[in-house]
Amino acid sequence: MNSCYLGIDVGSVSTNFVLLDDNGIVLKKLYLRTQGEPIRILKEGLTEIRDFIGDRYSIAASGTTGSGRQLASLIVGADIVKNEITAHAVAALAVRPDTRTILEIGGQDSKIIIIRDGMVYDFAMNTVCAAGTGSFLDRQAARLNIPIEKFGGYALKSSNPVRIAGRCAVFAESDMIHKQQTGQCLEDIINGLCEALVRNYLNNLAKGKAIESPILFQGGVAANVGIVSAFERELKEKIIVPENYDVMGAVGAAILAREETEKKGYTIFHGFDIIKSKYEAVSFQCSHCSNCCEVVELLADSQVVARWGDRCGRWSNAKEQKRAAG
Amino acid sequence: MIVTFPHMGNVYVLVKTLFDEMGVEYIIPPKCNKRTLELGTKYAPEMACLPLKINIGNFIESIEQGADTIIITGGCGPCRFGYYAEMHKEILAGLGYNVEIITLEVNEKGIPELLCRLKRMIGGRSVSSLALPMYKAMRIQTAADKLEELSFRIRPREIRKGSTDAIMQKYFDTVKTVYGAKAIAHLIEETRNLLLSTEIDKDYAPIKIGIVGEIYTLIEPFTNLDIEKMLGNMGVEVNRSLYISHWIKEHIILGGLHMRKKQPFEREAEPYLKTAIGGHAQETLGNTVLYAKQHYDGAIQIYPLTCMPEIVAGSIMPSVTKDYDIPVLTLVMDEITGEAGYITRIDAFVDMLRRRRQIKEANNELVLSGH
Amino acid sequence: MFKKIGIPRALLYYDYYPLWHTFFENVGAEIVLSDRTNNKILNDGVKYCINEACLPVKLFHGHIVNLIGKADCLFVPRMKSVARNEYICPKFTGLPDMIRSSVPNLPPIIDCEVNLRKSNAQLKEAFFEAGSFFTEDKARIWTAAQIAMEANDRYRKQVEGGRLPAQILENRQVPDNDGLRIAVIGHIYNLYDDYINRGLLGKLYENGARVFTPELIQGGIVDGNAAKLDKKVFWSFARRLMGAAMHFAEQKNVDGVIYLMSFGCGIDSFIAELCERRLRRQTDIPFYLIVLDEHSGEAGINTRLEAFIDMLKWRKRNDSDLSAHG
Repeated sequence: MNSCYLGIDVGSVSTNFVLLDDNGIVLKKLYLRTQGEPIRILKEGLTEIRDFIGDRYSIAASGTTGSGRQLASLIVGADIVKNEITAHAVAALAVRPDTRTILEIGGQDSKIIIIRDGMVYDFAMNTVCAAGTGSFLDRQAARLNIPIEKFGGYALKSSNPVRIAGRCAVFAESDMIHKQQTGQCLEDIINGLCEALVRNYLNNLAKGKAIESPILFQGGVAANVGIVSAFERELKEKIIVPENYDVMGAVGAAILAREETEKKGYTIFHGFDIIKSKYEAVSFQCSHCSNCCEVVELLADSQVVARWGDRCGRWSNAKEQKRAAG
Repeated sequence: MIVTFPHMGNVYVLVKTLFDEMGVEYIIPPKCNKRTLELGTKYAPEMACLPLKINIGNFIESIEQGADTIIITGGCGPCRFGYYAEMHKEILAGLGYNVEIITLEVNEKGIPELLCRLKRMIGGRSVSSLALPMYKAMRIQTAADKLEELSFRIRPREIRKGSTDAIMQKYFDTVKTVYGAKAIAHLIEETRNLLLSTEIDKDYAPIKIGIVGEIYTLIEPFTNLDIEKMLGNMGVEVNRSLYISHWIKEHIILGGLHMRKKQPFEREAEPYLKTAIGGHAQETLGNTVLYAKQHYDGAIQIYPLTCMPEIVAGSIMPSVTKDYDIPVLTLVMDEITGEAGYITRIDAFVDMLRRRRQIKEANNELVLSGH
Repeated sequence: MFKKIGIPRALLYYDYYPLWHTFFENVGAEIVLSDRTNNKILNDGVKYCINEACLPVKLFHGHIVNLIGKADCLFVPRMKSVARNEYICPKFTGLPDMIRSSVPNLPPIIDCEVNLRKSNAQLKEAFFEAGSFFTEDKARIWTAAQIAMEANDRYRKQVEGGRLPAQILENRQVPDNDGLRIAVIGHIYNLYDDYINRGLLGKLYENGARVFTPELIQGGIVDGNAAKLDKKVFWSFARRLMGAAMHFAEQKNVDGVIYLMSFGCGIDSFIAELCERRLRRQTDIPFYLIVLDEHSGEAGINTRLEAFIDMLKWRKRNDSDLSAHG
């Protein structure tokens, strides 16, 4: 049976699964909506992965990344838990070892990663402002009644993009409505939105950073040809969209997991039986001090597996401790 | 008269010592917490800086426990901190709280006014009676700061994870309950010995990160995600560039006596920022240069949103990064800070520094082995 | 020696241009003023300046970019204090360093320090430093300085005599209205830059309003009012705003007060609040805060301004109805 490596990227919008083979080729990728239910989606993804590999492959390593990386690692038994910046960089370097810049725009956040000599040299990440993220485009597409997949195509048809003011989603939206009311054509408005997003992204994240080629564009938004073209116009450089642009975080997690298990010689992957277990994340407010931390407790078949969310460590350091004892 | 004061990291150790020794009745505000921030955000102007907001929360929580007099330090510009007391007065009066605010500062009315205010703070006794307690309090604050500094070195090297946290947590819990300079000094010494006897990995060479930025957000763990602890537990040795005892010594004692000498950070900052512009902008830039010269792996700049001096420093920082090849991560703090995003960034930053160190070491080995 | 000096039409331009212009002209320099704020200047400003800075400082960066290639050197004095025991915003003091670090391809910058906190003597040094780039003749520099100071005095008198800085510097027309009396409080570079405030003053004039700004109030009156505060406002320009607001609160001679603040302005975050509290405590004059930033669309400001004016007219009608019946 051949070995394969599992990478999982649990984001707030999507949860992505990737299986890599020994040669680093993507055997299978899954892109599932998280829908605020990471545990259910994790199990769903794992079921699909299990059915896919059958008895052809065995999982030799697993790694998690994304904002839900802790939770996911506890459930699947991850050999490595990595932040998504490192994961994206590792995945990009596997595609293009000479990568110098990574643009990444996901559903809820965006990043720029500067790579020099094959390592992360500088990076920036934006989590507060929505105007530079995929959910902003989703929302505007819905408002304009255009499927998001066609959004980019519309932008390419525009010859004279409208200037949409705003590095803030709220303002950009009201400005767009204003432009719509003044009767500007849809293609120009959409192209204007693409340009606004690119401008916001560069102003927020890229200031003072040297964006040099090769430039890889990753994350779900890279599917949008309008945005790709706006980046190329603004940067006057070619933008490369890698084949697995939408699951690069998971690819990176899988690569890192493989490196880790090769170092230590075994995997702690829990296997697929966990799908049958009943997982439950419950939260409670700790009342020990006035910080009133929201502590999350992960239960597997009613047994406490882990706790996190406390600032002082009284809960996370005492896994076996019963809640009542606090 | 029951006095209170705003929190700022461990400064309550100094204030407590002073008031214990003077026999002044006081209330230490509850440790900064979510409610403190909620109260501050609700009543302070939206675009005020974070420390002002948290101060307001501290005061309200102390007043609820019976405080009727607030002691704060002041200043005369250009940083907004110099006008904090007037904002506090307006906001608290507007809420109907009947409290007196005593601002300790040398303003246009000069030293006599300051003496007057000090006298009021200690219930009319002579100001000279403050001298010895003040001296003791200063010494204790210096020891308390050194203790924290030591914990930053021990934590990344500890063999049993969590041992430094446990020792420090016990210290923080206890220090508020012991009375007087002698007992506090004893507790600090005891804690120091505990830290020194913690089992550590002597061969471990941790990544070293210098922390620079605006003093309040640097010192108050509530506003910086307890970054020193977080980094320490990630195996990183941290050095903080500013401490309360240092600030008091430089600005109040030596500054007041006009005996302040030019500091190394000022020399290093000058090519980038020619003069002091208020706040800690020159410290931020100069100390980053110093960290680079001492071969630190990186620096983290922390400041509250809209902080005027730090915006200037932040805008100049890329030049320092470039000249000295030291990576700098900037964290701007406000009340809507999403913790998860910050942790990801810090995590990635540490990853990046580790990788840089590895490559540097590999290159050095190549050079050494003559390839 | 330089010949052409570039002066950005931003920030303290509105306070000191007559002085600067006269001085440099008299030392034999040719003065190049940046263009009126426009879209490109805004975009360049946002592009080069640190994100966290306020809009006026961003625009200043844009004006610097606008001057590149047009002059041999740029004038960016290091303004630390313009009056005894007073300061101005720290960003002004750090401005030359910010510019140097953020804007590429700069010509030399003349950054003489102006610090009158302890005494006026330092001003002389500043003049000699700035003048030395254009002439070696010290007597000529000193004469130029004298003439410049006179020009500055004349300018202040003109303004206090009722002519707005925008009328004098930009030849703006001000109609002789006798409708609503509206006070507009704000930093000078926000009040008189039509682009930054989306033509606010013009809109008030169109509505028949008479506009009062802090500059129009006699210095002595401002000082007298500001001196009543428990603690001196140690920022010179903010002290002017505070003194003016107190004057309006005391005289009750206006129908409404608009405070024009830029997003992220540290000083205004306090002063606007103090002005509002005082006005509300002492009077029932309506107070309206307009916050300017790069994404405030014109449409949004118009709507709010119209509503405010409607409200003032309404209230005024009611008042006069009452008095007619009383």
